[in-house]
Amino acid sequence: MLLAGVALANPIVIGVIVPDADEATDELTAAVARAAEHGAAMAEEEHVFNAELFGFDFAVVLERATGADAVVAAAERMVAEEDALAIAGGVSFAEASALAAWSAERGIPYFNTGSPDDRLRHGLCEATSFHIEPSAAMYVDALAGWYVRSGFRNWFFVIGDDQASADQYERTLWSLRERHFGAREAGRVGFDGDVDAVVSAVQRANTDLVLLYVRPDDQVRLLEALDEADVQVLVAGFPYPAAQTRTFFAASRAAAPRLGVDQRATAWEATLDAYGAREINARYLAMFDEPMESTAWATYMAVKVVFEAATLGGDASPEGVMAYIAGPQGVFDIWKGIGVSFRSWDHQLRQSLYLIDISAEREDPFSMVSLVGELPAIYMPGTDPVERLDQLGDLRDRTRCAF
Amino acid sequence: MNIAPVQHQRHARTRTRGIGLVARTVLLFAALAFALALGTTAAQDDDRFFVYISNEYSADISVIDSSTDTVVATIDITGRPGEVRPRGMAVSPDGRYIYVSVSDFMPTVETNEDTITVIDVLTNEVVNRIAAGGNPERVAATPDGTEVWAALEAIAQGGGWNVETGEEIATFRVGIEAEGVDVSPDGRWVYISAETTHTVTVFDRENLEVVKHVLVGNRPREVRFAHDGSVAYVSGEVGGNVTVIETEDHTVIATIDLGLDSRPVEMAVDPVRDRLYVVGGGTSAVYVIDTTTYELIETIREGMGRRPWGIAITPDGRKIYTADGLSDSSTVIDAETLTVIGQIQTGRGSHSATVGVIPRED
Repeated sequence: MLLAGVALANPIVIGVIVPDADEATDELTAAVARAAEHGAAMAEEEHVFNAELFGFDFAVVLERATGADAVVAAAERMVAEEDALAIAGGVSFAEASALAAWSAERGIPYFNTGSPDDRLRHGLCEATSFHIEPSAAMYVDALAGWYVRSGFRNWFFVIGDDQASADQYERTLWSLRERHFGAREAGRVGFDGDVDAVVSAVQRANTDLVLLYVRPDDQVRLLEALDEADVQVLVAGFPYPAAQTRTFFAASRAAAPRLGVDQRATAWEATLDAYGAREINARYLAMFDEPMESTAWATYMAVKVVFEAATLGGDASPEGVMAYIAGPQGVFDIWKGIGVSFRSWDHQLRQSLYLIDISAEREDPFSMVSLVGELPAIYMPGTDPVERLDQLGDLRDRTRCAF
Repeated sequence: MNIAPVQHQRHARTRTRGIGLVARTVLLFAALAFALALGTTAAQDDDRFFVYISNEYSADISVIDSSTDTVVATIDITGRPGEVRPRGMAVSPDGRYIYVSVSDFMPTVETNEDTITVIDVLTNEVVNRIAAGGNPERVAATPDGTEVWAALEAIAQGGGWNVETGEEIATFRVGIEAEGVDVSPDGRWVYISAETTHTVTVFDRENLEVVKHVLVGNRPREVRFAHDGSVAYVSGEVGGNVTVIETEDHTVIATIDLGLDSRPVEMAVDPVRDRLYVVGGGTSAVYVIDTTTYELIETIREGMGRRPWGIAITPDGRKIYTADGLSDSSTVIDAETLTVIGQIQTGRGSHSATVGVIPRED
């Protein structure tokens, strides 16, 4: 029962790198690691099933590694010893940028499932890299779209002392200036670990929205301090993958019972019921007894994209997979209700994002979150579906990527 | 037909509006010739049919008389809307029974709710619940009316059952998230689509074996054979296309591109014209395809209900009915002029549409 006309390598192997979490690992990183591992496991189970239909072997090989050198070594091992066709993973900018550079050198497609950092889509872009994880620009545009429409007019920024945070801040100002009119910067403060300084600056500001452009663990610390200081405005944070986990939501709620239960942006939501998402979410829940987190979804999708590019394109070579993805036929179903593709200018996967609300009371991980928004709205007959999705993120005219 | 005892003792409540009168009227206007043309012994009008609309959220079936375009009955499936959902349907060739895919809202849990529910349309009573398991999403009847075949969404399987005894004939493996199913007009092949794997699995009813898995458009929803059985059509919701499979050796011979945003779902093959009608669920449209050229010849938007998911055409080729999930309605389209001529209020979350001849009462 072979797939007629398709000459595929046998077996097809995809390598997935997940964080090397142990007892010393902080709980947010551990949550991301667990989600990535589960996403890979589910992807393997389902795509082994699919491959069997067509009479070829398929495997997902998994390596646990943390840090730039370790993830590159893991990738190299999986290609050299397992003949991996593609590599997915990377949860930090350092890891993702190292894997991107490695993939360009080796000619092996790399799928970024964990770093939203825009540098990977601009100056550090590589033709062999493909970003399942939404870009920081996409998240920022979504936040701007939601919060401007919700009437938040005076935005205060807390900016971490790293390049990514500074880039997120600059990109937000651009979004408010060029795409979502009606809000202005009410002030900003740098964050170097001094929580009291942030609280004091926020209290002095005339603001109705505070955006924490800092690491997830620092977001929790700041939420706690602002809550204790009785700050009465909406406080949200940049949605790093770790800040999209139920573990983060529970931590932010515990630390800040009032401010920690507001709305957050996510790339995926386990309670999403439309577009066939009910089925994939239910399968994941049944398999692991926990909700499908964004990183699990991204890891699953990386495997799915490679599998489909190889089978539908009929070429399981690295070049064949990349050519299929970049070609006009490279449209994928990612359970978000619309066929999506990778942008030709930076290889960012187009997709909609979700706004969720953290429950103040519900304890079980599944129902502690409610899905309250989607951007862009994908059902808009009469408009171009690609342009619709390109409402989020950087378009060709802003790219600094040169393949 | 002897129907096996009800396996789960939960009869449907019926909310009947004039069904007795309708049934008596049917006898007066029975048209035996049409029934014979369908290979059945039933007789019915040649211009009156029952249109069945399954309503996912109110858990019932709206029965529309095509001569008046009014709902003449509403058949409850369990009386527990929100807990079970009827989706795909098929009608026996004599029009006497409708077979409804019924499942719960828990995709991965097999429960007693996962049945093919058999309804006698003369009484509007549930007369059997065939324990299909695995969330049956759509169902098809064989041309001789002896078997039903279903796509079992939760367990990536297809299955067939004898409609008289309820006995399982076969189950077989298909792709993940099985959805669409149809039986070829000669009864030889069962085609089942799978949304996640992007496949149609070809099952040989004669030898009871899978012969092929065919890659089709992205997220294939429904499968429909042409009336002459030479080809089958597969709607690809996310791909925005219809794949045409030649049934001699089950190979793809064409892909009809409707546009990335067309979101095709159910389809209906015109019995008198060379046309295929395809509903666009996310676009509230009906796409009309010329089946000789595989070209889109018309897109019907004006007057359409919202989120049409199901579509069926009367056997005389005069009227098309859609099942509109967001407006809880059925849109009526004149197949000659390709214009919307009416809206009928149905139940909540209308999902699928099918048409049957009106059966004799004796």
